[in-house]
Amino acid sequence: MPGIIDVSQLVKTYGDGTKAVKGITFSVNEGEFFGFLGPNGAGKSTTIKILTTLLQKTSGSASVAGLSVDSDAPEIRKIIGVQNQDTVVDEDLTGRENLILQGQLQQMHGPAIKERVDELLKIVDLVDSADKRAGFYSGGMKKRLDLATTLVHNPKILFLDEPTTGLDPQSRAAIWAYLKRLNEQGITIFITTQYLEEVDRLCRRLAIVDLGEIVAQGTPGDLKQEIGADSISLGFENSSMNGGDTKTKARHVLEQKFDGVSNVVDSDVGLTVYAKNGSYMVPELVRAFDEANIRLSTIGVSSPTLDDVFLKHTGKRIRVEEVSSANSRGMFGRRRR
Amino acid sequence: MKKLVRNPILVFFSLFQPIIFLLLFTQLFSNLGRFIGSGTLSYTTFATAGIVLQNAFSSAFQSGTAVVDDIKSGFLAKMLATPVNRSAILFGRLLSDVFRVVAQTVIILVLAYALGVYPATGPVGYLLVIFTVAFFGLAWSGISLALGLKTKSAETVFGIAGALTFPLLFMSTALVSAGFMPSWMQNVSNFNPISFAVNAIRNPITGCSLDLKVCNIGFDWSTILQAYGVIAAIGVVTLGATLYLFRKVVS
Repeated sequence: MPGIIDVSQLVKTYGDGTKAVKGITFSVNEGEFFGFLGPNGAGKSTTIKILTTLLQKTSGSASVAGLSVDSDAPEIRKIIGVQNQDTVVDEDLTGRENLILQGQLQQMHGPAIKERVDELLKIVDLVDSADKRAGFYSGGMKKRLDLATTLVHNPKILFLDEPTTGLDPQSRAAIWAYLKRLNEQGITIFITTQYLEEVDRLCRRLAIVDLGEIVAQGTPGDLKQEIGADSISLGFENSSMNGGDTKTKARHVLEQKFDGVSNVVDSDVGLTVYAKNGSYMVPELVRAFDEANIRLSTIGVSSPTLDDVFLKHTGKRIRVEEVSSANSRGMFGRRRR
Repeated sequence: MKKLVRNPILVFFSLFQPIIFLLLFTQLFSNLGRFIGSGTLSYTTFATAGIVLQNAFSSAFQSGTAVVDDIKSGFLAKMLATPVNRSAILFGRLLSDVFRVVAQTVIILVLAYALGVYPATGPVGYLLVIFTVAFFGLAWSGISLALGLKTKSAETVFGIAGALTFPLLFMSTALVSAGFMPSWMQNVSNFNPISFAVNAIRNPITGCSLDLKVCNIGFDWSTILQAYGVIAAIGVVTLGATLYLFRKVVS
């Protein structure tokens, strides 16, 4: 059965020769909540731009609701809602006016717009501020308004490019709650994000992309099980100063003395070690490192998380940029003339 | 597209400089008027056309920075993801720019009227002035739109606008008549598109001939039509370039 989004061997090479997407294949089923994860520059935004008809692909095929992104772009635009990484609201207009404008851009007319706008204001809890200028909204409110604008025309599929990056935890939770509700009403959601716990909770399936390729896909549960081991994260003292040396030394110790270790990966603070029954290994580890004169600053054991899945496949921990791009942008005011 | 309620402060903010010119500059030079070419007219009457054009000039350059803003903020992308017709996006931009410059021109003309500048050719003449300004604004904003789309940098558009404004304005008949300039500058002014546009705006206000020697001649159609020819030529080039670059950005 073909999915509502079908991508096969998709390639995008930019004019300057940058290969942003190198032949990815995946498919999203109707009604699914699909997560698309990857470090910055992995090709997530490029893929979303191609699927939302903002960018032309170089080769391969991509279809949305059975429509080709090349030849049926105008049809696709009618049934998708798109939220870009940037929060785009017109700060000179009120919340309500922003929604009405978007309705007009979506070629809706008359009372249908008004009704839908009232409904949306309720959905994103902006009824009380509906007639205030969006310029006076907080970052979270702007994001909610932005989300509402993507829903005006009752899209079948929602494309969201990092919708919660830069938001405070409460706003983030609110956005995810709205998304969950929308998905339950039958809207397919395709989302890129850096917040793994939320993906874990909400996404039915996900794909991990790195350097323009899909390195893993499946349900969060399957991906975690694949790791099949607990992770022990080790932090070393002075790891920032002679981190290289300490890490090499530690790896050496692990190789020689620990058979149960299935994988060792570099992390920000030191090393992450994967092993069955990790908690039993801790005392031995401490002793071994002590003998080798390697000083540990932290040690922690956890059962596999999506972060581990991510780390295993990309060699990177996903790093959330907490510097709020949404807020700083708000301060300088995106004003439209 | 149609219902972009604008921030009225913007209209006034960009009017600040023309109004200063209108109120102070004309006073500063009021006694010099007959030397720098206003003939029997008051300098204010003479310079109104130049100030109207100066405003249209700087107003047109805001279009380019606005389009950069649209690209950078993601607003353009958001519009492009809707079924809105591609050319309607550009057309709406131009239309709103023309609307703004017309509103500003009306304000300047009303202020000038309060300062004693009465149109020699009556309301019809002022309608023609407004139409000429709108036409000029359309062609001229093509320059800044093309620059904005090409460089995607508001600073560049600002910089180029700043570099162009005063040379083009001072080496034109905007603030002094051609006869007052040194001869090399006269030559520049004769080919300066700004001079053409200013002359076509000045004639309906003053009712004088191009050299201001004969007044009460009403509309000087040869001056006006010449200007329209020049503006149309500029418009074809700048808007053609804008359309081309817009297609590139959109696809």
